[in-house]
Amino acid sequence: MSVPATASSPGASSPAWRAILYLLMIGIAVASAFPLVWMVLSSLKTPAEAMQTPPVWIPGTPTLDAYTKVSDLISVGRSFANSAVIAGITTAGILVTSLMAGYAFTKYRFRYREVLFAITIATMFLPPIVTLIPLYRLVGSIGLNASLAGVILPNLANAFGIFLMRQFIAGVPDELVEAARLDGASEFRIVFTIVAPLVAPALAALALFAFVYHWNSYLWPLTVLQGNTNDYPIVISLARLLSYNRSAVNTNLVMAGATLAVLPPLILFVFLQRFFVRTITATGMGGQ
Amino acid sequence: MSGFRKSIVAMLAPSLGLIAIFVLVPIALTIWLAFTKWSSQTPFSTATFIGFDNFREIFGTSSVGRDFKGAMVNTALYSLLSIALLLPLSVLFGMLIHQAELRGANILRTILFATYMVPMIAVALVFSKLYSPTEGPFNQILSWVGIGPQPWLSSPDTALVSVVLLNVWQQVGYFTILIIAGLTQIPHSIYEAARMDGARGPSLFGFITLPLLKRTLLFSAVIALINAVQVFEPVALITQGGPVGSTNVMTYHIRRVGIERAQGGLGSAMSVTLLLALVVTVTAVFALARREDRR
Repeated sequence: MSVPATASSPGASSPAWRAILYLLMIGIAVASAFPLVWMVLSSLKTPAEAMQTPPVWIPGTPTLDAYTKVSDLISVGRSFANSAVIAGITTAGILVTSLMAGYAFTKYRFRYREVLFAITIATMFLPPIVTLIPLYRLVGSIGLNASLAGVILPNLANAFGIFLMRQFIAGVPDELVEAARLDGASEFRIVFTIVAPLVAPALAALALFAFVYHWNSYLWPLTVLQGNTNDYPIVISLARLLSYNRSAVNTNLVMAGATLAVLPPLILFVFLQRFFVRTITATGMGGQ
Repeated sequence: MSGFRKSIVAMLAPSLGLIAIFVLVPIALTIWLAFTKWSSQTPFSTATFIGFDNFREIFGTSSVGRDFKGAMVNTALYSLLSIALLLPLSVLFGMLIHQAELRGANILRTILFATYMVPMIAVALVFSKLYSPTEGPFNQILSWVGIGPQPWLSSPDTALVSVVLLNVWQQVGYFTILIIAGLTQIPHSIYEAARMDGARGPSLFGFITLPLLKRTLLFSAVIALINAVQVFEPVALITQGGPVGSTNVMTYHIRRVGIERAQGGLGSAMSVTLLLALVVTVTAVFALARREDRR
């Protein structure tokens, strides 16, 4: 995304001014990274260091004790598995449903197409709290309360995915689809073996958005699972550390838990950030 | 049904079916339940129609009304403050990354955006420690520059602002990317032409960058508003709406009333009010922007 340096660019150029800009940039980077760096450093402290005033910045004798202790407290392994199941299945569902709908909205002509699409898009801007109360009862009335299925099912399709796929499938030439039809390929075959590979970068971005969003999601699983701690994803298990959060002596425990929860989305992001950035740039939005 | 019709239905049914059942039906239910007395622990069929009673109660002078109006005001303040900080910062950061041609700008973009990937629950836990009045590093840093210790989350005067700051820290990278996307749409030739006419720094920004970013800024403001309404984790986890109700925001309050206290009718009336308030605000913002365009 960087623009080649040219004399006519809008950037200013006196050396003093550039030095100020560099300082500003470093300051912003430090401020932005600081909470996460502090989180990791604190997770390596001993309980004594964690409660010192003024605060200890760098742990004197770094230890991983907090990680083993926190694993016992909130069954980290099971929570990670639950998060992986929720985020994994939801993401797979969103990819399939969005791909099919995106294809239908671009390659078929039918009455009410634009109206249907507009209604779908409008749901993208709905804050989840507006539907939370009846949704909670609705999922309960089909017997899915306090289960992973109840967390997953309502999220298997979403407007953002459909919007994103429509944007990118519109770029797939109609002639290609026509040719496949003449060869006798079924519509499903066309979607999954011809269209899907052509929009692979967008699918990758959608997969990442969906996975990170549902890994991090808190309000809905908390509401549906109703204290069924066996099925808690990691972010909700983390909230159980709250009772330990009250005392400074346990700061290292809480920070170790937070570090563990942050790692999967952050690692995914570091490896695949070019897809994230490109998709936001192309569509002007991102997230749910 | 023709084969063509069948494939339209087959392609759209999974996604639109799910959205209809789990988004559109619940919206309709919320609107209906807002006019009923209903416990969210019981089936929908137990709801009894009571007209506008729920709305009278949430706008009334009882404690229910006071708490709800407090939550509306807190959410409005929270949203305004978030937007007022996020937009200028993301424009500054976006220009720094995209226009200033600095080495390492991409690294800054990565760091900024990485914070957006962090689960809010972890952000809340980390900031609750950073804000700690005694062992927290924020007060320590302030003391270096001669500012006295702040109460942060523990005083009704500063708690809401402290939650806003945490939210801005997490989201500013996302909005910076949106602004960069907007900046890339501005043709270089416009800047060149303006320079030929003698325009420099601030006037380039005021007469070219800002006006041409208007659509991006408008869109960003709407997204920031909708995000701000959803703030939940830091409040649920750390402040529980306090101290003295100063961080009691809508998402937290509606869930507490409608789910935890099982007052489904009251909670639904609050949801409907929130939805109406959002629709009116967003429509007004777009209408104002359009009127200014015509001038």
